[in-house]
Amino acid sequence: MSTPKSLIVEGLGKRYWIRRAAEPRRGAMSRLDRIRSFLSIPLAHELLNSKEFWALQGVSFDVEPGTVLGVVGANGAGKTTLLKILARVIAPSTGHVRGRGRVVSLLELGAGFDDEATARENVYMNAALNGIPHDVVQRRFDQIIDFAELQEFVDQPVQFYSSGMYLRLAFSVAINMEPAILLADEILAVGDATFQERCLRKVHELARTTGLTVLFVSHDMEAITRICDRAIWLKDGQLHRDGAADEVISEYQSTVWERLAATSSDDFKGSSHVSKYGEITEVSLLSPDGRPIGSPRRDEDAYIRVRFRTHRARTRVRCSFELHSKGMLVLRSTQTDLQAVGPDRNYQAMVKIPANLLADTGYTVSVGVTLIRGEGEEHALVMNRALSFMVYGDQEIGGLGMSLQRKGLVDPELEWTLKLEEPNVVRT
Amino acid sequence: MSYGPRAAAADWVIEPKSDSIFARIAEVWQYRRLLGYFATRALQMLYKRSSFGWIWMMVRICAPIGLNSLIFGGVLNVKSTDGTPYFLFLLCGQTPWTLFDQSLLFITRSLERNRKLISKVYFPRLILPVASVSPALLFITILSLVLVATDIYLHQRLGIWYITLEPQLLLAPVAVIISLVFAIAVGFWTSVLQVRYRDIRYGIRYAMPMLMYLTSILWPLSHIKYGWARALVMLNPMESAIELFRYGTLGTPLEISTGVMAAHMVAIGVTAATGIWFFNRVESASVDKI
Repeated sequence: MSTPKSLIVEGLGKRYWIRRAAEPRRGAMSRLDRIRSFLSIPLAHELLNSKEFWALQGVSFDVEPGTVLGVVGANGAGKTTLLKILARVIAPSTGHVRGRGRVVSLLELGAGFDDEATARENVYMNAALNGIPHDVVQRRFDQIIDFAELQEFVDQPVQFYSSGMYLRLAFSVAINMEPAILLADEILAVGDATFQERCLRKVHELARTTGLTVLFVSHDMEAITRICDRAIWLKDGQLHRDGAADEVISEYQSTVWERLAATSSDDFKGSSHVSKYGEITEVSLLSPDGRPIGSPRRDEDAYIRVRFRTHRARTRVRCSFELHSKGMLVLRSTQTDLQAVGPDRNYQAMVKIPANLLADTGYTVSVGVTLIRGEGEEHALVMNRALSFMVYGDQEIGGLGMSLQRKGLVDPELEWTLKLEEPNVVRT
Repeated sequence: MSYGPRAAAADWVIEPKSDSIFARIAEVWQYRRLLGYFATRALQMLYKRSSFGWIWMMVRICAPIGLNSLIFGGVLNVKSTDGTPYFLFLLCGQTPWTLFDQSLLFITRSLERNRKLISKVYFPRLILPVASVSPALLFITILSLVLVATDIYLHQRLGIWYITLEPQLLLAPVAVIISLVFAIAVGFWTSVLQVRYRDIRYGIRYAMPMLMYLTSILWPLSHIKYGWARALVMLNPMESAIELFRYGTLGTPLEISTGVMAAHMVAIGVTAATGIWFFNRVESASVDKI
């Protein structure tokens, strides 16, 4: 390749020796055990009592400079292990990582901060911890404090800081260390929306101008789709998917939501999507341009497409769908007119979900196709929980403050007016 | 191979095997500012959260000397070889010893005390044991002041300057450096082991006073001229440091042969080299177990 990669990860694996289950007094023992099982050559009895566990196995990927790479996966999938290896806090068991430039990590908020020291002291100390030359920090000091908006608090011990101030300082220090690679683990979980926005802008700006590569681990899918160009999905320590952030996240979310899917209403229960009268072959979610998607954007129309096949002649059909969220029926919509269909043909029904109707939350879709023969002889084909998806918030970062607030089951854009009520006084 | 400071141009590799010792030492130099930071923090820990921190520190280092002087010089009436007052004689032996003893204690706990940091941030861990000698350096400064004060006091009373201002005085700092290097060398081993076996610290705490009795601190080396007892005493490389310090400050004739001293230096060197090797090898494995 002609473009130099900023990070090449090849066959990375991390093995741990874990104790076999059913160990008495697990909680009390574990700390002692961890200290005990410390040398690289485990003691004999430990070897007998433990089995290997691969927190990370055979992970390979590379990253171009200027990429903001999201890392997603369930808890224990190896995200943090990966970051810790990249940060050199732990050593890998197999494979290797090649990289270019300074790595700055934000593995934990304020790790390496001394609570009793002031912000000023902590900035210099943190720089030293990251191996940053003193003059670089001196040059950047004001910039760091300005970005963190801590001008008045520079000489106060950081133990009196709020968590937001703490985050601002930690992030500002990291971002100003001239990193080539920034490792961030859930750092944006705290902090107010406006600062998050500034962090993300800064990250993007540096990615564009200096070729900063960011590895961003988060459970906040919305944030990942918003800031990452690319995402990798770790599953059980292995690289499950690697691709454009929105695609990976959509796929990841539909899996997650499938598992969390809410129950359907009684009407739809106990029915099947296949019968002798016909079958529902596919239900999918489409973007306005007809592309299958895993999750719709809130500010874009989305379509639910139901494909079905009929087996009998002289049948009329009526489609309907239900939308559930948080275990509740959000809405049910049914086609108003009956349509005649022929035997052994494939049909597709589309229903448009208008933009700005749903809230930034998860929904499941159940689909019903009612086949009506002759005089009121009805057969229902039902596909319960045919789809699950999560709606993304507004694209503009400015909307973040709102999206953090509690929402209802739907979030339609309603028209508001406000006007001055003229007093009933006739002026002369 | 360099990872951090040399920034942009340098390529780096992370592999299962640890970096070479030389790369690690070069790294320590790049991160040298951390030395000062950790050293300061170790000093702050000394008197943090105690109202009489400084007093405790003085007690900690001066009480054993006072007590030993009282028991051995006063009660048991041990005499130095050339008629130097016993307290001064003892002080000159115990100064390098305290440096060694206290450094080792602080170094041993250095990794354990910074567990949280180690598991979150990367930096060359070798810095921790080296930086944690700072309290011991403070102690030796205090002891040196006590030494000078004692000398002045004795001059007032007896009219004799016991501390010689000859070129050999330069050997005193050399002895100090030897003690320090030896403490760090042993500390490379004990600090890593301490994380795994908490008992190490207690072992050291009890072994050190015993070792002190086997070193010519409380008694002059001229008391034991031959035999297995002398051989036993000579096993400890600190013996060289103590004798050199006394020779440098008091001008006490060197009772220890050049050959034995050379052997001691080699022993210290070997301990240091293997210590760094061991530390480097185990340190990376230790972090995820911490």
